[in-house]
This record gives sequence, structure tokens and C-alpha cells, in this order.
Amino acid sequence: MAEKLQKFSKKLKNGYQIEVVNLPGYNQTYGVAMTNFGSVDVLLPNQKQLPSGIAHFIEHKLFAKPGYDVSEKFAEYGANSNAYTSYTKTAYLFQTLINPYDNLKVLLDLVQHPNFTEENVASERGIIDQEIQMYLDMPEWVLEQRILNQLYPGDPIAKDIAGSSASLQEINYKNLLATYQNNYRPSNMDLVIVGDVDTDKIESIVSDSEFSTSGGVPAVEIKDFEPIGKGGSEKMEISQGRSSFGIRVDTDLSGADLVKLQFELNMIMETLVGESSINYQELTNQKIIDDSFSYNVVAENDYCFIIISGSTNYPEKFQQYLQKHLSYEQLDKVFDDQRFERIKRDAIGAYLFAQNSPDAIANQMAELYFYNVNYLELIHLIDSISREDVLKVAEESLKEDNYTYYNLLPDRT
Amino acid sequence: MKQEIAKNVILNIDPINKFRTIKIQIDFLRPLDKEETTTRRLLANVLSNSTKSYPSFRSLNDREMELYGSEINVYTRNLLNLNDLAFSIEFADPKFLLDGDDLLKDNIDLLSKIIFDPNLKNDHEFSDDSFDTEKRNLMSNLASVDDNQDLVSMLKLSSLIHHDNPDKQIPIFGDMVHLNSLTNQDLYEHYKKAIKEDTIIINVVGDVDEKMFLKIMDNSFMSTFLKRDRCNSKVTFDSFENLIDHPLTQSEHKHLNQSRLALAYVTEKIDPSFSYLAPQAMNLILGGDDQSKLFLQVREKNSLAYSVSSTYHPISHLMTIQAGLDAKSVDQAMDLINKQIDAVQKGQFTQSQIEHAKKVLSTRRKISSDSIQYYIMHNIWEDVYPKSLLDDEHYQAELDKLDKDHIIKVAQGIHDIAQYRLIGD
Repeated sequence: MAEKLQKFSKKLKNGYQIEVVNLPGYNQTYGVAMTNFGSVDVLLPNQKQLPSGIAHFIEHKLFAKPGYDVSEKFAEYGANSNAYTSYTKTAYLFQTLINPYDNLKVLLDLVQHPNFTEENVASERGIIDQEIQMYLDMPEWVLEQRILNQLYPGDPIAKDIAGSSASLQEINYKNLLATYQNNYRPSNMDLVIVGDVDTDKIESIVSDSEFSTSGGVPAVEIKDFEPIGKGGSEKMEISQGRSSFGIRVDTDLSGADLVKLQFELNMIMETLVGESSINYQELTNQKIIDDSFSYNVVAENDYCFIIISGSTNYPEKFQQYLQKHLSYEQLDKVFDDQRFERIKRDAIGAYLFAQNSPDAIANQMAELYFYNVNYLELIHLIDSISREDVLKVAEESLKEDNYTYYNLLPDRT
Repeated sequence: MKQEIAKNVILNIDPINKFRTIKIQIDFLRPLDKEETTTRRLLANVLSNSTKSYPSFRSLNDREMELYGSEINVYTRNLLNLNDLAFSIEFADPKFLLDGDDLLKDNIDLLSKIIFDPNLKNDHEFSDDSFDTEKRNLMSNLASVDDNQDLVSMLKLSSLIHHDNPDKQIPIFGDMVHLNSLTNQDLYEHYKKAIKEDTIIINVVGDVDEKMFLKIMDNSFMSTFLKRDRCNSKVTFDSFENLIDHPLTQSEHKHLNQSRLALAYVTEKIDPSFSYLAPQAMNLILGGDDQSKLFLQVREKNSLAYSVSSTYHPISHLMTIQAGLDAKSVDQAMDLINKQIDAVQKGQFTQSQIEHAKKVLSTRRKISSDSIQYYIMHNIWEDVYPKSLLDDEHYQAELDKLDKDHIIKVAQGIHDIAQYRLIGD
């Protein structure tokens, strides 16, 4: 019988947090090094702003080392590797069948030793610019940026994670290195290995590794947000119109409380606009939405918001309906014990589904570390949520002042 | 366990205990027919909308949530010359739940209702609600396809490759023309036919007791349907001979930020003394990963593209190349792509690149078995076209046999058969 997951976790003397999970029966070892630094972190302590896309540029260019590319080393040891940048995190990962310890050393080399040069930065600009152009052709991606700019006007979160063609020109090896040095350090990282590995060996390798930077967790600059935008629309050359409805939830919560808030907001949204909600049924019956309709709750340090979006031929009705029906009173009417129990079960099921996948375990575990939550205890955190907790959050967050919208309309001219 | 429970109804049970979920999938197969492709996709959507006992999308979703978020998936896909209408339910293994409720029977029951106990209006039509909603949804999804440029370019390429096969001209998710004219009655008629005639493959993967599963299935609503004899779905293969002599090209312009290239090649039948894996190794060296020639030359060295890669399809012997790049770089990229192909044909790659390709092939194969879907697909191929599978021992033998000469010969035998260019301007 498959065992419930166990993890080994330790804060090492050099500042690294390591977590190791054994996943019986699986062939692969999956490793991720995550830093608590993403695309929104562009404000310096002196209030100067870094060019947008700099976190993502670092992610691309950290692979370059003097005379070699780290992906070659991973390949040599039989691993495939990748990396990604989100609004608040940057992660570097490998997946392998063999040589987990050598690959771990390569992962540490990857995050610890920058080698930004004028030449390699210049050649990367063209590649990233193509990545930006690719996303600009994706209406869902464009819409997300537009609604974020309504939720957080002018804020870095409203910029493409990769930056823009113009901001790429402002990125150079000097500001890359300075930004790297300010954000990449063991105390600002979490390292997770999922696989059949010897924890002592992992500990010893990470303990022996040398980071080129040190110091405590970097100071976080909190900027006051501008008031929520009034919404907007624009035309794009697309076949199908798309609309987004945004809710900003300003909160002082952090750590496990913030993670709990995310689950509570998800429960609210599932009840009000999920596939088994009266509103989903009604929006479908009124032909306002199709089955692309969905919602996404994001609760991260500084940013907490909900985006509801989908294709529609009736953007005004889409917005009016949601504006009218997303309220505490509506929730209170339908959120009985039976519905609450169903939604809770659904959340617990989703947690188990994710445990089939080493990459989901590793990435979620790394992310939750920054919120002081043990991934393996998440099932208890979900179970501890009461119906009253959810109603209280709804009362505080479902207010018209927190709402905004954005529409992408097909340009048929 | 593999068992033919009736003529052309195969049951596979893989009692594997490494996953946190259990998955049951039932595939209905019949030859692709352009007149049925859109119908079958709409059928998939209508059947997953509601059932007789859960007569609305809402009530069906409530039931899934009660069962700890069981995931129902109903869709159609191409499997060689076959149209595969697949129904699946995946659910939490009760051992890992806090209260350990037994979920097997309830999930078999739910899947059974989705397939065999639909939400009907009368004896020849589905409920108006589910039919109208799903027809509208599919219409909207088809309209959205035009906004996904990577998909558009691959569909256009596929249309060129299969120019003389009308059944493959319609994308597997259907087309507007057929959908517009499709009536509720047409849909129900196809449902009756499919339920009665299609070849069926049932897969169960997860920590289940075989005897227990068989007992529950025997007592379920689906039992009588699954024990009836059915038609055989014979596999056939595409031929691209015409295209080798007369390759097709198409170029279109659209107001886009990025241009797309989608190219198709076919490999010749390989010498039986060569490693069966030579074409796959050739593909890896050319464009199969971040160590490949295309990635290093087109992306890393010349900064022309963010994404550029090649994919090999072993059963059809097709190799496709896709790239997203600036309109002004298209010719330069084509030149570079041709030069990389030429380099592989001339043997301009090292022994360490061959060793890397071997390592990647072996790793991908073993890592893929860390997913439930691997077991399901393996069983389906075993039932539909067993020749496409190699056991571990044979696979290793083919890897060991692989040498540079095989790869060069395979590369020398590739033919350009179709090119699609979507120029953004």
C-alpha cells in the first residue's frame, strides 16, 4: 500500500532551507530551487524602479556560465531542466532518473554563480523579445495584464512578466548582477527534492555549497496601491470576445493565514460562480458565457485578488450580472452546510490529485515554505476551515468598491 | 489483467499502488469519418453535461464534488485512422482521505450513468438544455481556435499533409459547417450506433482489487452494454508518397506580433537491420530538446526564436518542426533549419550527442511511467496496434544497437512534404 507522504526538512547553517520527500514507486527525482523574488519586485530601497522583466531575464541568463551552459551539465548527468518566473517567485528545476546528487550540484551551481556579460545579455534580448511577442498574440494573456492594471493601476504586477521590448533595452549586465545580488541568497530560497534519495547526502551537498552572496532576507519595499480602476475595454484582432471581472482583496494577512484566506476565497468563488453554482447555470442559460468561463484566486504577500474570465459575446451583460450577483447576501442564501461540505471535499480531492505528480509536490511545497505552511499538513488546514470563516471573509471582500472589469472586443473592421 | 469480456470489448486492470488516485477510462473506437467527427465531439460534450439522474450540469458537478472532486473527462481524439471517444473518471484513493470513505462503487456508478444513462427529452433526442448549451459552447470554442496561432498553424499543416484524406481534413474537435447543421436527433442516432457498435477498451489503473472491481462492474448499469459483441476497428496507415514528389506549401498573412513556421517531413522505411529508434534519435539531435541543433543554432546562437523544436511521430513516420519568430527572420530561420538538417545528413554530430539522445530516450520512457495516463495509453496501444510497443528488454537492445550510421541514413531519407507559414504583419 502506498504510504502517506513524509518529508525531511532542515534549515542549514549556510541559510538554505532544504526539504526532501520520498515518493515510493516513482522512477524520477525532481528538484526545485525557488527564490522569493519575482516580476513584481522591481522597487529598490531608494525608491528607484528597475526595468520590468528583470527577474525573468535573470532566470534566462543564470544558465550561462563561463564556457558552458548549465543545461549542458544537466544533460550530461541525464536530467532535463527548466525554469520559470511568476509574479513573486523564480524557480529552477530538474527532473532525472539517474545521478540525483550530481544534478543537485548543477542546480546549486545554476542559482549560485551568475555570469552576466555584455555579450550574453545582448544575445538573450532577441530571444526574450520573441517570447514577449508570442504572448502578445494570446488574448487570454493580454486580458490578464489589462485586468491587473485595473486592479493595481500602474503597479509592476500589471506588466508582462517578461517585460516589454522597451524595458529589455534598459536591462544590462550591471543591473542584472546588482538585482541578483540583492535577491539570490540562501536565506531567500527553498530547495525541495522529491525522489528516492539519501537525505544525509542532500544535506551534505547543500551544506558544502558556496553561494556568492549572503545576508538575511532582503528588505521588502511595500508600495501603497493606487485606487482600483473603473474598468475598460479595447479592441483586438480576435475572433471571440473575452471579458474579465476582477476583485481586489486588500489584506494584512501573511503566512498560514494568507494561505487559509486563499482557500476561503476559492470556496466563495466555487459557491458563487463555480460549475455547480446557480450563477454559472444562469449565465449559461442566458447565453452570456461558454464553458471557457473560470475564476482564479491569487493570494500572495502584498497581492490578493480574484479574476473571473471567459469568452463572451455580451461583455456588458457579463459585467452587470457579476456585479449584481457577487455579494455576501447571495452567498449567505446558498451556502448551507451541505454545499460547504461538498466544496471542502472537492478541495481535499484536488490536494490528493496533485500528489500524483512529483513536480506539483515540489513546486507547491517550495511555494508554501515562504508562507510558513507545511505542504503535507495542508489537508488539515483545509479541514480546519469552518462555514463561518468563509462567510466572514465574504462579508469583508465582496464589496462593489473592490470590483473592476476589462473587455477585449473583437475588432471586426 | 487483460480480458476480452465480449467480442472487441477488452478490459485491462493495472492494480498499481503508487498513485493517490484511481482512474477508470472507457474508450469507444470506430474509423474516422468526416461526417461523424463533429458529431462525436458534440456527443462527448452533451454526455458529460448531465445524466438522467443528474439532469443538469449543476447537479452532476455537485455529485463530483461529493465524491471528493472526482474528475470526469469526455473527449474525442485521433488514434491513427480511428476516432476515439474516451470517457474517464479519476477519483481520490480513499486510503488517503481523512475518513476513508469507499469511493469505487460510487464512481463506477457515476461513469456508467454518464455513458449509458443520458439525459433525454424523449426516445430519440437528448434534453434540449444539454444539447443547446453544448452546441453553443462548441460553436464558441471553434470560433476561439482562430485566436490560438500555434494551433492554427498546426491545423493548417495537418490539412496539407492529409490533403487527399477527407476524413482527416476535419479537426478532431469538429468544424462549424457540420456543427451548424447538426440536429439533436442526428446526435442521438449516432449515440445509439456508437454505444452498440464501437470497439471498447476499458482501463482501470490504481490501487484496486481486481475481483472487487469485476464484482462491482458486473452489478453496475454498464454491465449489459459491455458484454455485447461489437465491431472490429481495423487500423490503417497514412501514405505520403504523393507529397514526396509534390510537396505542398501554403503561406498566409495575419495581423500578428509573431510569425509561425510549421513544417512536415516524412522518413523512409528504415532498414530492418537498423535500430528501430534511429529516427527518434535523429529527431532529438536535430530539434528534440534544448541540446539540439535547432535550439542551439536558431534560438541560442542567432536569437531568432523563443520556441523552435522538432517532434517525431514513430507510427506515421512524420517529423514536424515548429517555430515562432519575427516576420523579417522567416527566411533566415528557414535557411538555418535546412542547414541543420543538412548537417545531420552529413553526419556532423558527435558520439556524445548520440549518447545524449540515447539517454533522453531512455529517461523519457521511464519518467512517463510515473503517470497514470502512461498505463492507460500503453494498454490502448497494446490492444489497437501492439507492434508500436517494445518491452523494456527490446527497447534497451534497440538503444544498444543504435549507431551513427543508422542516424545518418535515416536523416538522408527524410523528405520535405509540407510547409505552412503564418506571417505576422
